[in-house]
Amino acid sequence: MREIVLVLNVKATSFLKNVLDFRIESLFKNLSSLLIFGGVAVGIFLLSRAATGYLLTQAHIGLFLFHRFLSMLLYVFFITVNLGNMIVCYATLYRSEEVGFLMGLPMKHRNIFIVKFIDNFFYSSSTLLLLGLALLLGYGSYFSMPWYFYLVTLFVVLLPFMLIAGIIAVIILMVLIKIASHIGIRWLLAGIILLYLSAIYLYFSMTNPVHLVQEVMRHYPDVNAYFGYLDPPFARYLPNHWVSEFLYWTMVDDPTRASTNLVTLLLILAGLVVVAVAMAKSYYYRSWLAASDARSQRGTLPSWFTLRFMEFGKKGFLREQSDALFRRDFWVFFREPSQWLHLMLMLLLLMIFLVSMGSLELKLNQPFLQTVSFLVVFLFDGFLIASISLRFVFPSVSLEGDAFWCVRSAPVSLRKVYMHKFVTSFALVLLIGEMLAVVSTAMLRDNPVLVIVAALCTAFVALALTSANLGAGAYFASYREKNPIRVASSQGASLTFLGSMVYLGCVVLILVVPLNRYFEMLILRGNSAPTWLTLPVAAIGVLSIVTFFASTAVGLSTIRRDY
Amino acid sequence: MIELKNVTKKFGPFTAVDNVSLRIEKGQFFGFLGPNGAGKTTTIKMLTGLYSPTSGICLVNGHDVHRDPLPAKQSIGYVPDQPFLYEKLTGREFLYFVGGLFQIPVDNLRDRIAHSIEAFEIGDFIDRRAEEYSQGMRQRIVLSAALLHDPQVLVIDEPLIGLDPRSARLVKDSLKERTGRGLTIFMSTHLLEIVEELCDRIAIIKDGRIIHEEVQNELRRFDGQLETMFLELTK
Repeated sequence: MREIVLVLNVKATSFLKNVLDFRIESLFKNLSSLLIFGGVAVGIFLLSRAATGYLLTQAHIGLFLFHRFLSMLLYVFFITVNLGNMIVCYATLYRSEEVGFLMGLPMKHRNIFIVKFIDNFFYSSSTLLLLGLALLLGYGSYFSMPWYFYLVTLFVVLLPFMLIAGIIAVIILMVLIKIASHIGIRWLLAGIILLYLSAIYLYFSMTNPVHLVQEVMRHYPDVNAYFGYLDPPFARYLPNHWVSEFLYWTMVDDPTRASTNLVTLLLILAGLVVVAVAMAKSYYYRSWLAASDARSQRGTLPSWFTLRFMEFGKKGFLREQSDALFRRDFWVFFREPSQWLHLMLMLLLLMIFLVSMGSLELKLNQPFLQTVSFLVVFLFDGFLIASISLRFVFPSVSLEGDAFWCVRSAPVSLRKVYMHKFVTSFALVLLIGEMLAVVSTAMLRDNPVLVIVAALCTAFVALALTSANLGAGAYFASYREKNPIRVASSQGASLTFLGSMVYLGCVVLILVVPLNRYFEMLILRGNSAPTWLTLPVAAIGVLSIVTFFASTAVGLSTIRRDY
Repeated sequence: MIELKNVTKKFGPFTAVDNVSLRIEKGQFFGFLGPNGAGKTTTIKMLTGLYSPTSGICLVNGHDVHRDPLPAKQSIGYVPDQPFLYEKLTGREFLYFVGGLFQIPVDNLRDRIAHSIEAFEIGDFIDRRAEEYSQGMRQRIVLSAALLHDPQVLVIDEPLIGLDPRSARLVKDSLKERTGRGLTIFMSTHLLEIVEELCDRIAIIKDGRIIHEEVQNELRRFDGQLETMFLELTK
């Protein structure tokens, strides 16, 4: 126990020194983080409060149905925390140099595991915890709950709920590493992706929200009564169900049933802690060795992926410096499985989205609904661009890593290096974004004006978000961090992502009224009036160009800092 | 030719390098000595453009490294104290990459890499990825990369760390031979016997200031006295 306290104390001191750094640059960074995180938290609080009010007093869905929807939301939250922890856990528990250092000390392996798990959990889940807290505050304030409700729910419900997700992640990870040592990491990763996609699909097909609404509404107006048979049996064994049940029974003032669910949650957490620690005691060290062995056994790419024209030493179309940078980036990307596998996964989700859209009837005759459907599809595109930019563009400066000395000491201008990164990233993001925007808008409504508007706005969004992520990635660069996933889940990355969401919010605000007017003219009067959309598209262009120049200026000035 | 004029580097209130001035002529093998934390690596990083000086100027072949960096860097080869490489690239790919940054045409580069393979005996591992390399292998790849564009000035921070005796001999012979052909070498090291063997001139830095300069030639040889002198000056 002393060992754990000692190491955690060092980590906490280091964290506090970082937070309580009063130099002007650090102060500016910390204040900006506080403002953006605080702003987003307030936004989520207001949204959560308004949504709760709307569903209960306007839509009259009743407490029971409301908490079933809450349960589904919590399931997605659980999977997000679980996956986030699993991905970052691999880097923290198996690839970190700190673990190598601690393994060389006379410290119990179980204690190293506990320290690194705690480190990992708070590193990868702190943003989600903040999000959960803001949601909880919005929800509780609607019901005018007393102050101790928030304390109990945060520390005894929400935190244990997230810890369960994190502990399950690390248990699965230890088992997976054992399997990976037999079948290889690539097949294993492909298996995990399929498993999680299947889990999400099965959950929502078995707890189908449309079916649920129909079933509950059959009993209207007595929907508050609890019809246990409506829940699929397996759902009762999921942590999200216990949390939503705890909240439901608290709201209907039945403390006995609420505490039953609370005790179940805490007992399961305690059981999982015992299992994880026992597994770590007998297996963590062996799995760490297995992971080291697996890394040293370099996989070979399939023969069709040799791409000889991309090999170094071939004459290219670009000038020597650009050619060298391009080939380096290409091979460094495709030789890191976590990079190309994530890209493939995102493209797979994109295909699923497009196929799903194809089966929906989206041509609506109500202007407001048509505006909403257009904006939802456009926002999905924006969200995809923001995610790809965060995952692949944000870490690109950090991934120059310790080897950046060879670029910094070479006769190549840093502006050229930076703009090379921007151009290659922008081309990739633009291609994916435009493909989605054009195809999905064409599916939405057979109207060339809308396709042009979507394509133009997507180009502007890609320009702004790629440059913002590159600039922020340079500003928050961590050359020591070798793992792109950890870079993309750092505090700076979370801040950038929240900034991207604010930008997308502004784009939607600019579009919503003129777009609604355009659909009114089109649907009610049969008159396509593109002039309604000229000004908002121009405004989005100006906003994006300003974002591009500001981000590039920040990125260029910070990339030139002492290395 | 290298010239540092009143170069100072401050990190907040801490002065790492304090008003250093040096002039190293063409073909000279210069040894830069000093205890840990004296300011050697900071000076080297300013000389290669990785740090900007707080005041003063660094000139390489007449070009200011910070105001006119591209021509200055074109004539520098740099070997850092830690030979970090791109882990996912092979040694050969790394050499092609560095050659590309120095704008060496591909055909020419192929011949130069072949020459490096022979000179530094890196053929056995050049097509393996850097993630599999030992420290010595990395060091030899980085040395090959630094000399690939035939620089006029070579800046080396601890060149022999991690090298086995045979590789160390190869490197020492290669460097000595190149100074004979006009290469100017600025070398920082803790290995005093290497300095005695190779350097024409030395400077000792302590607490960011040059505290001693000495020339070694036919008339004045260190002959094992360097260690005593170093310990006396830096205590």
